[in-house]
Amino acid sequence: MANRSGNVYGLTALSPILDDPSAEVSHAVALRIYLAKLARDEKSPFAKIYSTHMARLVVMDDVVFVGYPAHEEHLKSKYLVFEANFDGDLDTYLERMAKETPDEVEAVWGHCVGYPGLTDPARFVTYMKSCQLTTTFYFADVNDKTVKETLRALEIQSGLATFIERSNGMSPAELQAAFAEFWKSVEESPPPLPAAKAVAVLPCFLSGKNSARVRGIP
Amino acid sequence: MTNINGKTYAMNAITPLKPWKTWILRGFFFLLGLIKPMQKNLVNLSFIHFARWVVIPRRRFPYLGGRQKREELRYDYLLFFSNFNGTWNQYIDAFSAVLSSGLNAIWGWTEKYPGAVPVTPFKRHIARCQFDTDYYYTAYPYATTNDVKAAHRVETAVRAFAAESKAMQPREFALAYQKLLLAVQSDLGETGEPPVGT
Amino acid sequence: MSKTPASTFSRLDETDVQGFVLRGYTFPIARFMFLEIGDAVKSRRLIEKLIRQVTTGKRWDSGKPDCTVNIAFTFPGLVKLDLPDATLLSFPVEFAQGMKARGDVLCDTGKNAPEHWDAIWREERVHAWLAIYAKSSQILEARCGELRKMIYDSDGASVIGEQNAAAIVLDGKPSSKEHFGYTDGFGNPDYLGVDRDTQPGQGKLMSDGTWAPLATGELLLGYADEAGELPVAPVPHLLANNGTFMVYRKLHQNVQTFRDYLEANSKIYAGGKEKLASKFIGRWRDGTPVELSPDKEDQAITADKRRSVNFTFGNDMAGTRCPIGAHIRRTNPRDAFGFNGALVNRRRVTRRGLPYGEFVPEGQPVSDTAEHAIIFMALNASLFRQFEFVQQQWVEYGNDAHQGNDKDMLIGNHGGQGKFMIQGTEDPANPPFICGGLPNFVELRGGAYFFVPSMTALRMMAAGTVDPR
Repeated sequence: MANRSGNVYGLTALSPILDDPSAEVSHAVALRIYLAKLARDEKSPFAKIYSTHMARLVVMDDVVFVGYPAHEEHLKSKYLVFEANFDGDLDTYLERMAKETPDEVEAVWGHCVGYPGLTDPARFVTYMKSCQLTTTFYFADVNDKTVKETLRALEIQSGLATFIERSNGMSPAELQAAFAEFWKSVEESPPPLPAAKAVAVLPCFLSGKNSARVRGIP
Repeated sequence: MTNINGKTYAMNAITPLKPWKTWILRGFFFLLGLIKPMQKNLVNLSFIHFARWVVIPRRRFPYLGGRQKREELRYDYLLFFSNFNGTWNQYIDAFSAVLSSGLNAIWGWTEKYPGAVPVTPFKRHIARCQFDTDYYYTAYPYATTNDVKAAHRVETAVRAFAAESKAMQPREFALAYQKLLLAVQSDLGETGEPPVGT
Repeated sequence: MSKTPASTFSRLDETDVQGFVLRGYTFPIARFMFLEIGDAVKSRRLIEKLIRQVTTGKRWDSGKPDCTVNIAFTFPGLVKLDLPDATLLSFPVEFAQGMKARGDVLCDTGKNAPEHWDAIWREERVHAWLAIYAKSSQILEARCGELRKMIYDSDGASVIGEQNAAAIVLDGKPSSKEHFGYTDGFGNPDYLGVDRDTQPGQGKLMSDGTWAPLATGELLLGYADEAGELPVAPVPHLLANNGTFMVYRKLHQNVQTFRDYLEANSKIYAGGKEKLASKFIGRWRDGTPVELSPDKEDQAITADKRRSVNFTFGNDMAGTRCPIGAHIRRTNPRDAFGFNGALVNRRRVTRRGLPYGEFVPEGQPVSDTAEHAIIFMALNASLFRQFEFVQQQWVEYGNDAHQGNDKDMLIGNHGGQGKFMIQGTEDPANPPFICGGLPNFVELRGGAYFFVPSMTALRMMAAGTVDPR
């Protein structure tokens, strides 16, 4: 299935943008203004839909003219490109968009032709599928780990490096006790939030056996 | 710079191709999907999280009715979306140096493609065909695909260690811990802010 | 895969290239004079006089001269010389912006930020660099005296600063040691057409395991580079050809911090102090490459030109001999990134450095505030693609080596944080080890980007006949 690689789904959708000559500000421009201000970090709507690895929204104004002897031609509409890489299946994802991030969906696709609103999520799903393009070739470097698993792995990687550094020079008994505390901290830590700027520091490094700097180093 | 979020860059490119060439291109992608060794170099370069090529036949731009006019085009279009790590220049330098035959096999069918080598005209062509991202989200902005893969290896190793070493005596534990270090020692690079630059 | 067929190379005119570019002068003592240009016309006359003293790349078949002189200009310097606007605008952007403005790209922030630099660099007043190398301090003083007088008499420029540098003398002889005790000066690249003592390992790695010279265009403007094209160069061609770009950085060394750090970590590193020091950079302090001799120093290798630089990392991908993040592995990954080194060949630079300051032997008290530095100079056809890239992506960052954000142990701008991972084996004398809480062993105290013109270009500049067409 060209849209899928392992557990990851690659959605490519082109939604024609409304063209209203009487508008003070065109839909395309309004959309750009909205997207420029939309949060890209933990407050992003895509952070709410936890299964999103990466996603982008692009206002595509036109095709490109590469120069003579190629012919010059133009699109009659502008298109909103939505490229997303997420865990799970398409229908579930689109339903989650409709149910969990309705304000942002309205604000974005409200500028597009044929957008049916969100009173009936099933209609939104159908609408998005009618904008969908089949991916001809999809490459995913890691395609078998969910977002949750990825964030957890990154947290553990960072934690372990800190643990190793701080346990330099510990005796075996000290080491075992310190590791037990570290691992407990890992197991008790809640699922990391997506789109944070950095890996959160595990609590075990803030106090207790693992909180000291490397032994003996000034 | 809206194309960039943390360590990832969202590149979009559109290139025209004569409709009769589209079939050849589709054939190439079909082969690429089947013949894994052809993907080997792409995997070994290891700085793309996700990438996709989308062929849009000229009559298949989504048409939703209403007052939208149907497109009347001569060319089919090849859309390319990449989520990669590193700077724009670094990315294209690497592809030009190492994957030029693969790039030529794909984009060689598009109009006025100058070839992936030498790199300066290639960059100029890409700059013309590239269009900027308005909004870019990533769930792990401070991690490259190398970081992600390393993290998964580390987690697997340390989980196994935690389970196996639970009941060990301290000396046995210390020995097993050394083995853990040896298993993860190449995968502990810190994550964080990316370098600034183009 | 080489894109420059060797057979089509045309002979390099060595007399047109400045000597400093083509060879590392092995003189024991040097002085760099920094000029501020006042009057363009008078300065051009000065350049005309100086040209007669400038050392070219001509071979020293009839004996080494007592003294050499070379000259280079910053972008503000070229502006001051009244080069045509179209020419000035054709210089690469990073050169025109200057090293200070490129601080974010180079990670010259925090302790390396311009506010800590020497005044002439911080205020970007340097327009020209004059390098005088000499066989003895007597000869040096004499020549510098002549030059100072010439500059003063010209009434077109003035000397606003001077930087001494000298090889560290050990046992009465000039050595290639630097202040941390490492032996420096290995591994400058070979270029096609540049006559030099070739050592296997200096060039680029071919698929059959042999070494070949890099394309000339990696060093000199006007020649094909490793990407099969002419590097970006200013116009007119005559101004650019046989010229190159130089980065000059005064790197202050915190010798006390380095020695304390090494000492403290040696206590818990099972391999011992010298081995730990060797892991930091990838060579033992006597110069033995760790890749060829991971357990001990070995002068038999180091003194043998066929071996001292002749190694690859392909059999050490795990980094258990030479750590993946070690300095020389970061700055020249050789085959460590696969693809027969294709990702590395356009990232090489030629280094010409000399230490500055009184060497303090191990065991004697030393302070971070004392003057110990390396005057680091690197030559490349493209600052952006070569020096800046290595600095930004391989020194201050580690993703290409799969080391995440980890920085170069020795010269990275750590700010007290960050770590260096030493990969190890089950051998108790070669354990895995993390060096954490990294301080700044090296601090940037100033520098700039320079254009090193050919002799032809210098004459054009002196005559005021630079015409961009």
